[in-house]
Amino acid sequence: MGFLREGVDDVRRTARGWRWGRRSQVPRSAEPYVEPVRAQVFGSDWARRRPALAAREVAQKVGLEPVFRSQVRTRVEGLDVLDRVEGPVIFVANHASHLDTPLLLLSLPDEWRRRTAVAAAADYFFDTWWRAVGSSLLFNTFPIDRRGGSMSATPGEVLADGWSLVIFPEGTRSGDGWMHTFRMGAAYLSHTHDVPIVPVAHRGTFAAMPRGAGWPGRDEGGRRQLTVRFGEPLRAREGETVRDYAPRVREAVAALLDEDSTTWWEAQRRRATGSTPDPGGPDVATWRRVWAQTESPAGDPPSGPRRRVWQR
Amino acid sequence: MMLALEMFRSLPRTVVGRAVGPRMPGLLSGVAAPLRLATIEAPVVRRPGWARLRTRLSGICGSDLSMLSGGTSLYFSALVSLPFVPGHEVVADLAEDCDDLPAGTRVVVDPVLACAARGVEPCEGCAAGATNRCSRITVGDVSPGLQTGFCHDTGGGWGQQLSAHRSQLHPVPEALTDAQALLAEPLACAVHTALRAGVAPGDRVLVSGAGAVGLFVTLALRELTQAGEILVVAKHAHQRELALALGASEVVAPHEVLRRVRRATGAFQLRPELSSAYLLGGVDVALDAVGSKQSLETSLQATRAGGRVVLSGMPRPADLSAAWFRELEVVGSYASARAEPGGRSAFATALELAGHDALSRVADGVAAYPLHRWREALDHAHSTGRLGTVKVAFDPRRSQ
Amino acid sequence: MTRPGFVLEVDDRTPPLVVHEGLGFRLEDFPLGTRVIYPPESLPGIADVEGAVREALLHPVDSDPLPERLFAGMRLTIAFDDVSLPLPSMRRPDIRQRIIEQVLTMAAEAGVDDVEIIAANALHRRMTAAELEHIVGERVFRSFHPQGKLYNFDAEDRDALTHLGTTDRGEDIEISKRAAESDLLVYVNVNLVAMDGGHKSVGIGLASYKSLRHHHNAHTMVHSRSFMDHQKSAMHQSAWRIGRVIKDTVPVFQVETTLNNDVFPRPYEFLMKREWEWSVRDQASMLAARRGLALAPQKLRHKLFHDLRAPYGLTGIAAGEVEAVHEQTLARVHRQQLVEVQGTSDVLVMGVPYLGPYNVDSSMNPVLATCMGLGYYFNSYRGHPVVRRGGAVILYHPLDEGFNQLHHPSYVDFYEEVLAETTDPAVIGEKYERQFAEDPWYRHLYRTSHAYHGVHPFYMWYWAAHAMDHVGDVIWVGGDRRAAARLGFRAASTLADALEMASGTVGTSPSITYLHNPPHLLADVRV
Repeated sequence: MGFLREGVDDVRRTARGWRWGRRSQVPRSAEPYVEPVRAQVFGSDWARRRPALAAREVAQKVGLEPVFRSQVRTRVEGLDVLDRVEGPVIFVANHASHLDTPLLLLSLPDEWRRRTAVAAAADYFFDTWWRAVGSSLLFNTFPIDRRGGSMSATPGEVLADGWSLVIFPEGTRSGDGWMHTFRMGAAYLSHTHDVPIVPVAHRGTFAAMPRGAGWPGRDEGGRRQLTVRFGEPLRAREGETVRDYAPRVREAVAALLDEDSTTWWEAQRRRATGSTPDPGGPDVATWRRVWAQTESPAGDPPSGPRRRVWQR
Repeated sequence: MMLALEMFRSLPRTVVGRAVGPRMPGLLSGVAAPLRLATIEAPVVRRPGWARLRTRLSGICGSDLSMLSGGTSLYFSALVSLPFVPGHEVVADLAEDCDDLPAGTRVVVDPVLACAARGVEPCEGCAAGATNRCSRITVGDVSPGLQTGFCHDTGGGWGQQLSAHRSQLHPVPEALTDAQALLAEPLACAVHTALRAGVAPGDRVLVSGAGAVGLFVTLALRELTQAGEILVVAKHAHQRELALALGASEVVAPHEVLRRVRRATGAFQLRPELSSAYLLGGVDVALDAVGSKQSLETSLQATRAGGRVVLSGMPRPADLSAAWFRELEVVGSYASARAEPGGRSAFATALELAGHDALSRVADGVAAYPLHRWREALDHAHSTGRLGTVKVAFDPRRSQ
Repeated sequence: MTRPGFVLEVDDRTPPLVVHEGLGFRLEDFPLGTRVIYPPESLPGIADVEGAVREALLHPVDSDPLPERLFAGMRLTIAFDDVSLPLPSMRRPDIRQRIIEQVLTMAAEAGVDDVEIIAANALHRRMTAAELEHIVGERVFRSFHPQGKLYNFDAEDRDALTHLGTTDRGEDIEISKRAAESDLLVYVNVNLVAMDGGHKSVGIGLASYKSLRHHHNAHTMVHSRSFMDHQKSAMHQSAWRIGRVIKDTVPVFQVETTLNNDVFPRPYEFLMKREWEWSVRDQASMLAARRGLALAPQKLRHKLFHDLRAPYGLTGIAAGEVEAVHEQTLARVHRQQLVEVQGTSDVLVMGVPYLGPYNVDSSMNPVLATCMGLGYYFNSYRGHPVVRRGGAVILYHPLDEGFNQLHHPSYVDFYEEVLAETTDPAVIGEKYERQFAEDPWYRHLYRTSHAYHGVHPFYMWYWAAHAMDHVGDVIWVGGDRRAAARLGFRAASTLADALEMASGTVGTSPSITYLHNPPHLLADVRV
């Protein structure tokens, strides 16, 4: 049975040589000749079709949501803005943790959640088939290119199909919890497709599960508090260029962050005077910046002593 | 009384041998051979010139094997007298005085039973010295038999004793060993063949086959003729080496013959439908030293128009179209003559050649068996090429 | 953007690499540190081929435009490279067809009546009608072949040859009479590798044995370093001397084309990719191909491979004066094939593929495999051989394809008779070349059948002469032992064994370089 044995040998050698199930590697001496990664992106169209929708509904409602709620506490504000806009929209949020995506999705009303797709880095989420399938199925992600600067054609098509998008314009998770510069992709999409941007600010995800952590942490035995706040939809003004429009998006998110940590009125006033605190954080030592962010936002004001409720 | 291997009449064995012999030679040394080891009366011919001999060594020849396998043409059935003791390659001691030869003389036997031995007036052939062409081989003092070893009355080498006529005997020079002397008979045939081939100086000669016959013919051609290139067809590595040592200019494998001859002679090769390729053009002289259909056809197909093909093995039926179309001279070469061209006896020349350096390897390699291990011996003889031997022989003196 | 060729150094991240071996390929784990030379990726082909051809013919280099050189009543001869180029054969339409069609269109407009089209096959086998048709296309074939105006060159037809004299070194120049007596000879070339083209086209493609023997011999080939670099090739220098004489008597209009490196059609493209960039699909194709080939009988594998037609793209075309055109051509060939390599190594590893110039639709016999490995691939260098002097060469080929009696009758005799005697190219040439060259039967088969000329196997052996002179040890991995021994080499079953065997010449930890071709590459070795 030389034929079979050789076949098995071949498969084994291929599995070892091409590191099946892991990321493929480039010989060191070939690295200068690697083409900019454009290849190796797995398509995600299937994830926006009916069977995937049904599977996702089950996965999110039965799997993701109970687990998520069991690990963190959430407070959602400003959902009323969604009553005032027609989809699709682009949700633009700050990005500090892998918790951001489930937090955002699970905060949305069901009918919005079902029609929302998440832009995910092609080079990370779509380089292996299993990561691509997993994230597309659970979060309805689709690939965008975060290196070249120009977005691949897909987001426009997804928008055109009536899907709302979640975009983190920072391009990557913040290393210290503070907000960093925004890329122009979201503003560009909103501008060219004439779709409103809904700014979203959230706090506490960095404290709960920063970069490198694999699971949400606990705060003195209790679940960490996360807050998320949706803001007024933005549109490019008549004649406004993307270059002018993009900073307004970032300002809107910054104001929302301000509002979330103080009050709406104070935030409005500071915004009007242009004194909204810099969401990029103070220019101090790194440890102090991180220190400040490791504190979870305050939860709901305690309404009396915590009671245990017995179900009967 | 003496111990001897006796060939007897057995219709079933002959039929079986004929049917399967060529394909399964193993059977011949088993049940199918019409041969038996028996204790029989020692053969004595009470006529002048005859004497008893004690066998020292007796070779197994290709013709013996084909006779045992029933491969021999029925043509020869009238020329033998059954039952007989085979063995025509004989080295023996004289058991009694024979004319001028005293008892104890070591001799080799020229097996042809010609007029002189039979005590009749010389026929045309014998008178001219061409004893191998004798036409009285069925009459006279002894029973029919073309040679010693096919004749009931004389006995043969595969027995402890035999009888021979003075005209058949050639004393062996002291310098030769028994094994070397054993080669005298086949060498004599080779000498005859080489002289029959009519090789002109510089002729290109093809020797098809590198068994004992082929090898000895190669030597004879090299020593006795002015042949130019001698191309020998050999299957096995040891044959290849021997052929080169014995005077071949080149040795080729059977499947290469036609191509090699074509290349060497600039001939044209044609491939007829459903049969083997042949040449227009080719060697001047081809000698078939095997006797198989394929070997004979190769010889015919590789010879130039007007060339000569010598049959030195007992031939099988083959396609003779080339002989007709290319006007080939197909000549036979049987045994050896008392007076070859040049007047010498083939045996005298053969006994000289037997001492040739290159032959010492052949002589050293002679595999001798006692009579009772005849099945083993025949088996060995069937595959000499493969087993690296040239000659297998019986030594009736041995008991082990 | 086409990436350049480069030299890979095998490290622990390197997957197994493809090595071609006859009618198949294997995956080889090379020792760490092995250098692997990859050719540049395939250059983009010209989209508007017709336009490029027209442009080249109308604006030739150092020559009047073709239409101006055509006139009514002239004798026009078009010669073209035979079936040995390109390898593998090109998908229809062949580039030669496109050029010849345009040349003929211009000739028709100029009112030229006397046109003959000759395949410049020199001592190669005659092409079949189907092969001619594949190259020149149906229109040209139908218009010329039945009238006998499209035919194979016959180097043994004494009446159709003419002796143009000798060069200053006494080299005979004997070429096709028709070509020599034409008012214009248009030569349509495919410059697959750097050795092709230039004065080699007419001076060799249309020449007879009498002319070829001056440069196709062991002495010249040993001094052609390499024959892929015409300035350092004694063979080319001779061809150039001959070409310059021809140029003085025969008006030649040379058309040279260059192709990119797209040699494997679907689904075998993975063979042209760099292994670590293979997708899952490529890996699956490879596994499927390996199993399929293992299961297929040799005949089927032969058919599978020899039926491949390469989707070559045209990278450029130039026409006009031979040497000026060839200069441009070489620049383009180098752009596609040249790879810079620093320094030599002790061991050179090469996989001999299923196809060489002389076994199109035929079998890669041991002599041809040697020519392919030690001839073409070994000589794929500029400057200095990739392997150091006295180093070892390791080749992959089973050497089991036997001989094709139709195409290679003289090869059989060469292999069985000549190689059995000696494998020294110089001795072989001296002792046997004449006999084979003048053998009437080989001549007959060359002229009337489809056989290579009797002397052709000698040329194959001379092709390898430089390598045999240069290296100390040649080992065939996976090769038939008896065939390898007949060729004067040794056989090993694995690379590890081969390295073990070579350790006598190069030590136990030699530096190794693997030439990753096909596709074609030319190593520019800097010492």
